[in-house]
Amino acid sequence: MAKEKGELKEGEKGGDEKLEAKDDVKIDKWDGTALKNALDDKVRKIFTEKYKYVECHKLMDIRLTICVTAVSAAMFALVYDYLNPFPASKFVLITCVLTYFALMGVLTLYTTFIEKGIFLVAKHTDPIGMDPTKVFTVTSVLKRFDDNYHLSIEYNDGKPGSKTIEASFTKSVANWFDENGVLTDRFENDVNALHNQLESGKKTN
Amino acid sequence: MNSAVELLGLQELFRMTKRQILYQVLNFGMIVSSALMIWKGLMVVTGSESPIVVVLSGSMEPAFHRGDLLFLTNFREDPIKVGDIVVFKVEGRDIPIVHRVLKLHEKEDGSVKILTKGDNNSVDDRGLYAPGQLWLQKKDIVGRARGFVPYVGIVTILMNDYPKFKYAVLGCLGIFVLVHRE
Repeated sequence: MAKEKGELKEGEKGGDEKLEAKDDVKIDKWDGTALKNALDDKVRKIFTEKYKYVECHKLMDIRLTICVTAVSAAMFALVYDYLNPFPASKFVLITCVLTYFALMGVLTLYTTFIEKGIFLVAKHTDPIGMDPTKVFTVTSVLKRFDDNYHLSIEYNDGKPGSKTIEASFTKSVANWFDENGVLTDRFENDVNALHNQLESGKKTN
Repeated sequence: MNSAVELLGLQELFRMTKRQILYQVLNFGMIVSSALMIWKGLMVVTGSESPIVVVLSGSMEPAFHRGDLLFLTNFREDPIKVGDIVVFKVEGRDIPIVHRVLKLHEKEDGSVKILTKGDNNSVDDRGLYAPGQLWLQKKDIVGRARGFVPYVGIVTILMNDYPKFKYAVLGCLGIFVLVHRE
């Protein structure tokens, strides 16, 4: 991987490519998952870099922990079976196999019922400590073979008794990517509009 | 150079956060683990250390042909009888052999001596056993054939005959899974 990185830098130095800003996101525009990932990453970037919110990794970390445990169980079974060939390793194998499939079930339940497509939880803590922490929860959906990207942001200003408000838009991805698959600023504008709508909504409430 | 990176979809990898990269690796790990755990699960259920094998030679024709997929079981309470088709290992040979039981001697203490022969071979298997070995024992048996699917295993034979092809296929799949985000 390090080598590939070196190659990329060489290509950039060559300067024969079009002038592109360094953080321009260019993707294969026919690849649905690549589109969604690019947009999701962009939303994350806007929230963490432009608004300076702090990303809360708890949801992702729990998922990673489940995965790590499952893969470790499988690897342990592999090593144990290698050291103590089969009939001797029977009970360890049963335990590992059951653990693994149970964890896969937990993972499925976790992603469908708890994560529910949330890819970003951003928190804004008031620097003076006067206002409570505001929480943005961002979810997105891009169905397979569909060009409509649905972005939904839930916002809670953390004040006791305040309700979580939600704002969302559904637009064709064609609005934001140009012909070459480069993500344009228009997406950032749309996300900003959504963000500001939520923040101002708080005032009128 | 840039186009090579683009072709492999690596530029997407560079944009990923540490957690996303870790998840990507784990995702690959889970695909491998799932296959492994299904295999180990089958081992436990069938009692055989290799519950599915592919017939690699024509020595059992016309019963089995090259490329047939065999399902094996190896239950303790289910003793081997003359006429059963068994899969056995021989010391010094990497690949197990599928042949029919020709003679079988059982002792009072429960130990067995087995002689096998391929249906399509003109002599018994003593020439195939380890030097000096005249009989197979219970520990040599991987399992007995309980069912088969014809010709499905031909891919395995191709991969066995052309190891480079196998590594190429596995390598490509591995890179694809690692590089492409779910």
